[in-house]
Amino acid sequence: MPVVLLERIPLPSLKTYTGFCVALLASALFYAHRFVTSFETDLVTNVQLFSTESEPGITNSSLPYDSYAWNMLFVMTTEAWCVWTLVNTAYCCLILLGKLIQKLVFGDLRVSEQQHLKDKFWNFLFYKFIFIFGVMNVQTMEEVVMWVAWFTILGFFHLLTQLSKDRFEYLSFSPSTPRFVHVKLLSLLMAILLSCCGLMSLCVYIGLQAGITIFAFMAAECMLLALRAFYVAVRYAIHLIDMNLEGIWENRSIYVYFTELTFELAVLSVDFAHHLHMLLWGNIFLSMASLVICMQLRYLFYEFQRRIKRHKNYRRVVKNMEARFPMATQEEIKKNSDDCAICWEKMESARKLPCGHLFHNSCLRSWLEQDTSCPTCRTTLSDRPAEDSARNVPDGHGGDADVNLQQQNNPNAQTTNHFFHFDGSRYVSWFPSFSVEVTHTQLLPRTRQSVQQTSQLDNMARQVLQVFPHMPLNLVLDDLRETRSVEFTIENILEGRLQAPLPGSLLSRNGLLVEESDEETPQVTSLITGAAAMSASSSPAELHQNFADDNQTELRRDDGPAQFSSRFSKSAIERETMLQERKNSMLEQARRRYLTNQSASGSSNIDTTAAGSETVPSSETWQQFTNDPDSSSNDTQTSSSEYLRYCRELAFQAAQRRIHEQRNA
Amino acid sequence: MAGSALKRLMAEYKQLTMNPPEGIIAGPVNEENFFEWEALIMGPEGTCFEGGVFPARLTFPPDYPLSPPKMKFTCELFHPNIYPDGRVCISILHAPGDDPMGYETSAERWSPVQSVEKILLSVVSMLAEPNDESAANVDAAKTWREDRKKFNEVAERTVRKTLGL
Repeated sequence: MPVVLLERIPLPSLKTYTGFCVALLASALFYAHRFVTSFETDLVTNVQLFSTESEPGITNSSLPYDSYAWNMLFVMTTEAWCVWTLVNTAYCCLILLGKLIQKLVFGDLRVSEQQHLKDKFWNFLFYKFIFIFGVMNVQTMEEVVMWVAWFTILGFFHLLTQLSKDRFEYLSFSPSTPRFVHVKLLSLLMAILLSCCGLMSLCVYIGLQAGITIFAFMAAECMLLALRAFYVAVRYAIHLIDMNLEGIWENRSIYVYFTELTFELAVLSVDFAHHLHMLLWGNIFLSMASLVICMQLRYLFYEFQRRIKRHKNYRRVVKNMEARFPMATQEEIKKNSDDCAICWEKMESARKLPCGHLFHNSCLRSWLEQDTSCPTCRTTLSDRPAEDSARNVPDGHGGDADVNLQQQNNPNAQTTNHFFHFDGSRYVSWFPSFSVEVTHTQLLPRTRQSVQQTSQLDNMARQVLQVFPHMPLNLVLDDLRETRSVEFTIENILEGRLQAPLPGSLLSRNGLLVEESDEETPQVTSLITGAAAMSASSSPAELHQNFADDNQTELRRDDGPAQFSSRFSKSAIERETMLQERKNSMLEQARRRYLTNQSASGSSNIDTTAAGSETVPSSETWQQFTNDPDSSSNDTQTSSSEYLRYCRELAFQAAQRRIHEQRNA
Repeated sequence: MAGSALKRLMAEYKQLTMNPPEGIIAGPVNEENFFEWEALIMGPEGTCFEGGVFPARLTFPPDYPLSPPKMKFTCELFHPNIYPDGRVCISILHAPGDDPMGYETSAERWSPVQSVEKILLSVVSMLAEPNDESAANVDAAKTWREDRKKFNEVAERTVRKTLGL
């Protein structure tokens, strides 16, 4: 990148540069002054100056000041090095102006803002250099100066826009920004937009003289700048309205999304057309410049494509959502009387998922764009069961738009598969077999899927059976389909959620193993077992959720001074100091407690040994317990004993955790 | 996006301030940036981390409740599920899409109904019961499994360090 190289150039500080400029300007002025005065006194006949000076030279005494100033100006604009000094001074003034605006509007810049600014600046410089010398291929100095002047002004506004964009994004992270900061930033944006209008009229003026191509080049740049500035302004306005609005603004995210979409597409298409124009018009076809432009074109094209793809995904999600999840009725909302779990705001209208959970329309949509399960209970939402399989529109999964599109366009997609194991090995061959995901989408042909499913599941089932040989295989398999983890199935068994039926079924275990792998998983049974397992696995989560919700509402009810509740201040500064105080007091308390514990030495030692002696026998008893069924059945002896021990350890840990949880409860 | 995230973070902050769970304090480092929090977590009682106060940084993404925050302990913490640089590795902090360890079910991963409070509570329980199956710090996991005494000693030292003693 050119950026890296260019950053090494030691730039003088603004102070020295300004000093240098002032000195240069002073010396130029002094030179002009000397020139004019010496001319006036000596009446040196300069061919150029003679015609202008001959007549006013006589009336010098009557209008001395006016003529002197004119003379100065004349000398300054004709002498080459004086002209350069003037140009240099203009740049210095521009930089100082920029600095002033930065001081007034932005204050100190943050590190990331500085970095963005720097990147943007060098990038701009690089591309404009290419443009001036590669595309326009300007020859005369005058033209160069004109183009440079144009791009300087443009670049100046570009940098200001970038800065306001960064600053807006940062301000949107803060709840308590003073009003005048917004006013300043917005007025800067307005100023940029107004200047864009000015630049546009300049474009038209120059275009009338220099032709349509030059006009197109200049107008495109101008439009890009205006679009960017306008985009920031619109986003800003939306943000401000949202912040000042009490309660929730349901359609906000839609507005944000569509402004983003329109502006991004507009910028990309203008930029694309601009670059295409450059490539086609360029004086030299085969050059480094055209290569650079081609690269840029390619990048813009891919960006455009990506955006369109994302929008398609969005459209599909919205359509899908509207078709499948009805709006909740007012009674349902009232009955629920809870806030939306995603944004924690009150619900006035909501969509209802098949699992009965309610969410805001916009919240649900933005979640479904990246995942296809219910946020609360994790029920897969990707497809409706059998009866609606005709119009199968699978949802986005894991935000992977590519896969979704493929899926949608695949006419061979088979219908109604209730248990489909989506595993990582499709992407990376060495992905562990554990990472299976249950969805109802039809990503793969059925044959391949069933092979994966059975081989992986069998493997996992064997592991479980080594620990619990008395469990029937089909039960374990069903549970594994849900949990997708050996550990969790073991836990389920330990918790008694999964119980072995009558001992008769034990005999048919090996037979089932073969049967299962050949089986095409009949729909009805899989549906039933799936539902059963689903309810089993989701119930604790739901319980936990309910508990949490109860907790929340309960806590919200008592606004009075509870035991350890503190006040939530309206002012940011007070909040900050209160938080700091709380932190300090916590640390202080902890310190004191630690020291008292330390002084009563040995007590902690006793504690730990007590805990140890408590757990050790329990582990032994547990191992005895697991040994019992193991010794009764001999068919698992073939596996290595080490692995068995590992699995036991797993089971033991799970059991210990359970005991601990129970004790806590 | 940041607007709704901000509102939600504000609500969470309010809740955490009004009804703080025991041994947990959390809030933005600086009100100018609501997406950068600091949390203090007390070591759970009855474990080797008892008595310690562990500071951590939480960094929220602009689309917050949709994507999980990142959590990083700013003190040294020798623990199987905490990377040597302080990042916390628990399933609740992983987005549903990615799966760094390769065996979590999506059920235990991030979802917008989770909250800072739930994250911090899971971190507390992680401190209490390290999960050496998905070790982020292999050294710590090994020590935890094989040399519990040494592990406790290290923890004790950390506790003292965090208290500034």
